[in-house]
Amino acid sequence: MEPILETNGLRVEYRVQNGQGPKVAVRDLNLAVYPGEVFGFLGPNGAGKTTTMNVLLGFVIATGGSARLFGVDVREPIARQRIGYLPELTYYYKFLTVEELLRFYARVFGLSRDEADRRIDGLLKLVELEHARKRPIKTYSKGMQQRVGLAQALINNPDLLILDEPTSGLDPLGRMKVREIIQRLKREGKTVFFSSHELGEVETVCDRVAIINEGELKVVGRVSELVESHQANLEQIFLSMIGYKPEPVV
Amino acid sequence: MAGVSTQTFASVKSRTIYFWILSLLLVLSFTLATVLQPRAGTWTSRSGAENVLKVVLGDGRRLFANHFFVQADVSFHSGYYPSIFDHTALPKDSSPMIADSEQHDEHAGHACQGEHDHNSAKCSDDHAGCAHDHGEKGHEHDPHEKAMSFLGTPRDWVEAFGRRFMITEHTHLSAGNEREMLPWLKLSAELDPQRVDSYTVAAYWLRTLGKVDEAERFLRDGWRNNPNSYEILFELGRLYHEARKDIERTRNIWELALAKWGEQQANSDEPDLRALSQIAIHLGRMEESEGRLVRAVELLQLAQKASPNPEVLAKDIEELKHKATLPVKAP
Amino acid sequence: MNIVTALSGVVIKELYRRKDFYVLFILTALITLVMGSISFFNDARIARYLKEICLMLIWISALVIATTTTARQIPAERENRTIFPLLAKPVTRWHVVAGKFLGCWLASGMALVVFYFFFAVVSGTRDSHWPLLQYAQIVLLHWAMLAVVISLTLLGSVILSAPSSNMTICLVFVLGILLLGRHLNQVALEQPEPIRSLIYLVYYVIPHLEWYDVRDLIIYEHKLIAWSDCALAGLYAFVYSGFLLMGTWLAFRRKPLHL
Repeated sequence: MEPILETNGLRVEYRVQNGQGPKVAVRDLNLAVYPGEVFGFLGPNGAGKTTTMNVLLGFVIATGGSARLFGVDVREPIARQRIGYLPELTYYYKFLTVEELLRFYARVFGLSRDEADRRIDGLLKLVELEHARKRPIKTYSKGMQQRVGLAQALINNPDLLILDEPTSGLDPLGRMKVREIIQRLKREGKTVFFSSHELGEVETVCDRVAIINEGELKVVGRVSELVESHQANLEQIFLSMIGYKPEPVV
Repeated sequence: MAGVSTQTFASVKSRTIYFWILSLLLVLSFTLATVLQPRAGTWTSRSGAENVLKVVLGDGRRLFANHFFVQADVSFHSGYYPSIFDHTALPKDSSPMIADSEQHDEHAGHACQGEHDHNSAKCSDDHAGCAHDHGEKGHEHDPHEKAMSFLGTPRDWVEAFGRRFMITEHTHLSAGNEREMLPWLKLSAELDPQRVDSYTVAAYWLRTLGKVDEAERFLRDGWRNNPNSYEILFELGRLYHEARKDIERTRNIWELALAKWGEQQANSDEPDLRALSQIAIHLGRMEESEGRLVRAVELLQLAQKASPNPEVLAKDIEELKHKATLPVKAP
Repeated sequence: MNIVTALSGVVIKELYRRKDFYVLFILTALITLVMGSISFFNDARIARYLKEICLMLIWISALVIATTTTARQIPAERENRTIFPLLAKPVTRWHVVAGKFLGCWLASGMALVVFYFFFAVVSGTRDSHWPLLQYAQIVLLHWAMLAVVISLTLLGSVILSAPSSNMTICLVFVLGILLLGRHLNQVALEQPEPIRSLIYLVYYVIPHLEWYDVRDLIIYEHKLIAWSDCALAGLYAFVYSGFLLMGTWLAFRRKPLHL
């Protein structure tokens, strides 16, 4: 099976200000995500998760290696035609209403007016924002804004969803709803690639996970296989992969 | 219970303190205001100015007044007007203003001999008043026309193309449309009441447009603001003479103008001879038509001394002397 | 093209949901009406001073609207991070530059129509003169000029991250051209070499925005400009804007997305 998302020897370096050599954010990363799977991308802060996502979305140009979506180089805009992206925080035009925002993104994807209307109605129903469709986004609560994000990520009915910490900052009910939506997308055969700190959530939702630390891929595999091979739960595996050693209790 | 009452007491106490501090500050500020107010008047004249514009703009208003005065001239030329760069490009002695003055000085001798009268106070240093009877198009060999042909041939394609979007013809406002200059002159006078030209030029055009009452009111405003201005008095005299036909009042005003000129200019290093010549010629001509020939000769002789072209007046004086058949001494 | 027009739609919505345009329009209308209510020597037929003031206010307002709207577009996208979900779609940076330009230009054009309609009503009621073709010319030329101003400000917004400094620099630059652009060749002639050549170079390189200021032709009721000249001036503005937009894209292409 051809992977939907693929990186080969991906390397990203940043120039640093203080005159030292370049900082390596991602080091020879090889990843492959296959159609229909939910893939968890884990790592501590500064591990290179966001940088990798930025390369996949075309925000940052890789120093070396390659990254492909649907077999197309990520630098080609067409590679992003079939993906949906949910950023960690809500970055939307807050002077627009949710309906206007979704209509704007629908136009970006070249959807017809009828198709856009149909999708907007469906999505607003899915994220339970029908009642607030005519209100400017700036008047929404944080949870509502996060749901706007989910709706915009789904406007083009994407085959691959890239979610950057989709549940961060949400209350338990909000998290539950996001989880439900991810499960639903999985049932519909969509591929989901998401980063998270919530290991419990990853464990329940993901088919496979990858753990990255200091730009290097430490481990990748099915959650059940990892748990079995390491004889530990996901949290313990994660902590051992990032080199965390608990201090002895005095 | 005790804790609650202690808290309430503390809160009431702190509120009382704030109240007293506020009251004290209020009283202090009012006291200071009453002490400082009379003194503040002496610090600057701005606070005591009767004009809002003077308060807001201070002496900077003179700059705006000058701009509006020039704007009146721009308006008179329908937007065709030299910029400061065009002025520097012209030879020094061909500046439109100077050229204009020269032209009108040459006409000084013919003043008041008919409708073709260039020799008004307005002609002293502005276009707006000067070119009033140039007609729609200026004369071909007119120094004013020569000075206003400041554009010359385009130096490059940018300039050549740019001229298709700007006014390149020297025209003057057509009859009746001169009213369009008046707001600028009014604004100029409002901003700088000591700028005499604004009053005299506006009054000239108001009079020409048949708005004699408005012209008189405006000139009287100007006179109130400039009680020693012989230019305003001269213009006021013309108004009484030409529009009101009030000889007595005209005589009084022009005599006063002559006296004011004498007070201010007689001992000056560079006396304003143009103004003297104008006042004397106009008053002299009026006295001539009233049959007071002796006084008329005296005034024309005075004008002759002040005129750059005295020979033009010499013939008129001789004729008058002959008419009077009296031996007249030079003043 | 769909992406560019979609982006421009957002810019237009933004302009009309902010207060800048309304404040400037009300201010222009208020000052014009106050000035119009003043009676100068009891003559109600005096109209040109009012046209002059109204057009000056329109020019100031249009410049302020164009620069303020444009200067904050790309920096705001980067600062609020709205650029991320946008570029995660099949949108390129060229689309962003073109969409922002088109949006600002169309929004400024709409503002111009409103302002000039007000001007036409004020001057028409005053002097019963309705030179509609001349109004069309003045609006079109003004709009063409704003295309250059907007593309210039867009370029500035990619180079300078603070919208206020970009706006100030652009306004000074544009006003400088409007006031001095026509005379730079005269200034050059009075200078010794090599300053003369340098000033001449500047003279040929700067966009000659002063061509588009045809207010005097309206105020003083001069004849129409040849439509072919208007078309040439439009082409000049179009080419200049294209050049500046290309520069904007080149500068924005490798710019980090976040501030």
